[in-house]
Amino acid sequence: MRRRVGVLLAALAAIVLAAASAQAGMRTQKVTNVTLAGWSSGPDEDTLLNQVIAVFNKTHPSIHATFQVINGNYPVAMTARFAAHNPPDVFYVDSSVAGAWERQGVLQPLNSFVRKSHFDTSKFFPKLLHAFMKGKTIYGFPKDWSPLAMEVNNALFAKAGVKIPKTWAQLKSVAQTMLQKNVIPGGKPICLSADWARMGAFIYQNGGSFAKVTSKATQQAVAFYVGLIKSGLAATPDKLGASWCGDALGKGKAAIIFEGNWLIPYMSSTYPNVHYGIAPMVRGKQQGNLAFTVSYSMAKDARNKQAAWTLLSWLVSKKGQQLWMSKGLALPSRTDVKAVGGRKPFLEAAPYARGWGFGNPNFANAYTKMGNDLTAVLNGSMSIPKMLSDVAKALKGH
Amino acid sequence: MMLQTAATAATAEAYIPGRARSEIARKAFLYAILLVVAAIFFVPFLWTLVTSFKTIPDSVNVTLIPHPWTTAAWHEIWTGYSFGTFFKNSIFLAVVVTACNIFLGGLGGYAFARLRFPGRELLFLLVLGTLMVPDQLRLIPVYVMLTNWHLIGNFSGYILINLVTATNLFFMRQYFLTIPRDFEEAAKLDGASYFKTFWRVMLPLALPAMSALVILQFQGTWNDFFWPLILFGQGNPSHYTIQLGLAELHFSYSTLWPQICAGSILAILPILVIFLVFQRYFISGIVSAGVKG
Amino acid sequence: MATTTASDAPLSRIRTSMLGARLREAGWGYAFALAPIAVFGLFFIYPFGYAIYISFFHWGILGKQPGGAGTFNYATVLHDPVFHTALKNVAEYTVGVVPLEMALGLSLALVVNQKIRGRNFFRSAFYFPSIASSVAITTIALYIFNSDGLFNRIIGSSTPWFTTASTVTWAIVGLNAWTTSGTVMLFYLAALQSIPTEVYEAAALDGTGAWRTFWRITFPLLKPAHFFVLVVFGIGALKVFDQQFIVSGGSGGPNYSTFTPILYVYNAAFQNFDFGVAAAAGVVYFVVIFVLTIIQRLTVGRQEIA
Repeated sequence: MRRRVGVLLAALAAIVLAAASAQAGMRTQKVTNVTLAGWSSGPDEDTLLNQVIAVFNKTHPSIHATFQVINGNYPVAMTARFAAHNPPDVFYVDSSVAGAWERQGVLQPLNSFVRKSHFDTSKFFPKLLHAFMKGKTIYGFPKDWSPLAMEVNNALFAKAGVKIPKTWAQLKSVAQTMLQKNVIPGGKPICLSADWARMGAFIYQNGGSFAKVTSKATQQAVAFYVGLIKSGLAATPDKLGASWCGDALGKGKAAIIFEGNWLIPYMSSTYPNVHYGIAPMVRGKQQGNLAFTVSYSMAKDARNKQAAWTLLSWLVSKKGQQLWMSKGLALPSRTDVKAVGGRKPFLEAAPYARGWGFGNPNFANAYTKMGNDLTAVLNGSMSIPKMLSDVAKALKGH
Repeated sequence: MMLQTAATAATAEAYIPGRARSEIARKAFLYAILLVVAAIFFVPFLWTLVTSFKTIPDSVNVTLIPHPWTTAAWHEIWTGYSFGTFFKNSIFLAVVVTACNIFLGGLGGYAFARLRFPGRELLFLLVLGTLMVPDQLRLIPVYVMLTNWHLIGNFSGYILINLVTATNLFFMRQYFLTIPRDFEEAAKLDGASYFKTFWRVMLPLALPAMSALVILQFQGTWNDFFWPLILFGQGNPSHYTIQLGLAELHFSYSTLWPQICAGSILAILPILVIFLVFQRYFISGIVSAGVKG
Repeated sequence: MATTTASDAPLSRIRTSMLGARLREAGWGYAFALAPIAVFGLFFIYPFGYAIYISFFHWGILGKQPGGAGTFNYATVLHDPVFHTALKNVAEYTVGVVPLEMALGLSLALVVNQKIRGRNFFRSAFYFPSIASSVAITTIALYIFNSDGLFNRIIGSSTPWFTTASTVTWAIVGLNAWTTSGTVMLFYLAALQSIPTEVYEAAALDGTGAWRTFWRITFPLLKPAHFFVLVVFGIGALKVFDQQFIVSGGSGGPNYSTFTPILYVYNAAFQNFDFGVAAAAGVVYFVVIFVLTIIQRLTVGRQEIA
């Protein structure tokens, strides 16, 4: 009896060993693990990106990419990982912090990878790519973007009997008419955020710029923006009982707001019954707009740079980006990728929308000053020239 | 002070025969006030509960009645997010960290309260000093240290840095200071070792303090978001706690209020249970058991 | 380990055995305190020492940057008007919130310590706000107190309480006092248990009214608890961060009204990546808190010689 059991066990062992070695044999093809980290602005995004990554993994069997969502405290988490030399291989970089991260030396310059793999960089909108370059060195490729456009409540416009404004003068007169006719009781014709990330578009529309913050052109633009609020034609979202202007539009507290592509998924899930239209951004002396964009970048301390580059370049390739654009969550940063329908007012801004952050390494600190000073100007405790000189100094790093 | 007169009413009733009718009227009035206060404390939770049964578009309204009424949010968080795993992880961490804190905090608190050793006052100031070091300042050095020791990405790093907190040690010390020395002296006469005295005599006497700490530390660990995110919560869904899971529902531009509310209610329930279980130990006034022993 | 019976041992033997007992006591004292001290040393003292070190250099994410040692970071911090505003804001906040928390917590504890009916219910109700995480409560509060939220509808105002520079600090004071009152209540409740009921009985027999019983007897007996609450919640108030961060979206506005010293450290570290300045600010602020705590120890905590 024992002999038979012994033979059985030996046979079993042999089978197990054979299976194991067969497995090992299959595993001799090395799989490189690559981590991708980013945040998520909506539940759809997570799912979509994971689907995109799944396609990548299928078509690149020697690389296994995983997506790590970091929701909340992204800058803190990334800073800690950079400091510990343990960063994700590929990750999101917002254009407003690109300059600072470049200066800190945590981003891998990509020019040599571009050269070696003959990656075609000409298909990216130049101003978007420029937001992630320092001189001629490329530190990341924009994965998508959105400028600002003007979103309007069609019903309120019809009620007031006015047409969609195209210029500053028209914007002002439309708002005045709405106010006179009291079309929005309990609200204001325009919702304007106390945010340079919105006011900045107006600055460029008047021929001003962030490089010349104290110029007359910039000052006039700021005076116009602030003037709309002070004259009662516009209000900040918190005064309208909303958390942001998109919320105000949904609640019917404003007829005109200036927001980006991100408004669309928000409205469809939170205010599906509010009918709104998207019109191109108004123009001042010229067209001007801001591009909010995020890149895929590689860590200087990435462990498998070649594999990381394969992932990165695929994600921003025509194929990868086309997949990412399928839900219309953002706009393509490549000229050869189509956006979903209804995005024309946004896409029109591509030639003149400037990357938010402007590659300035002192931008985050300057932005804090911008916000606080603007609220001071709005409640009357600071003058516009003083704010502009503060901001100019902060942008230079003082 | 109306709360004081509530106290008077209670003691007066026990020791002096009360005047019947005005006494009852007064008491009813005081209870009414207490109920109003309690209701105010409850309102946000009522709102949370109600919102969890709303649809997303309806959740931005200030109404207290869902219109329409739906259980979609609850369904989604249970199936779409592995709240079961999150629960398990949160409970594991909370239990381990709380147990360590009670033991080490009690031990340390006893030492600082009753045992004399050179440098005790200085060391105690050091302990208090740790309360003054902000998390944001020590984040990077701690993170780098734990990375080098390979304690990142799993629970061990988090448990290690939370073995005992200055608050817990401090509170136990304060509590031990109020216990009359007679108990220890009796134990000493019986020949008990220092540890035995602590374990068999002092710790049981500190039951109200320990109950408070169980409740607070359990809850503190349960609600902790920052350190779990940094130490093991990056792209590691199998290790997520409830708070990390809830954060998945917070997005920059589309907050899923009903789901967050449902998740929050789920998150609150265990703490409520812990509280209800341990708060009864506050009733056990110990010292009246008598020093005449 | 029998204690010495002094009656029939010669003096020198008494002294050595007393010394032995002292040594044993000290030994056990150190042993009991070892684990906590190790944890605090590794994860608080060492990082703080590290911060002191880097505060004298230009320090970025990846380490030391070119440039020698000096006190330039301290000069930056101490001369920065934003830092001064932050100190002012947190002082206003602390002076408002700490007495309120203590008073609320103590009152609630006294109430639920009575033999009133439904005391378990009230105890749970009062503790409720402390249960939720600060992020959840702040988000709910932002919702209820926005310019046409529930609160304003009831009192008929339209001020957005959390986004108006003149009201935001007090709105946060109210919010935090409300949420921490339950926790303070727990600490005082535990402390109240160590006061024997005989004390109250004796006072009642003497005919002492409830108010006097409280002020003359209960309140002083709670001194260790007062010291604890004052120190822990005082330091907690000085380190306040979450609410201001959430309410202002990290900007410290409107117009720097929610800028706190901890936000200053946070921005310097995670927004500007200037770890040297962050460390210097952290050290400066530590000294501020330390001095305040010493003052507390010398005034309220004076009977602490155990």
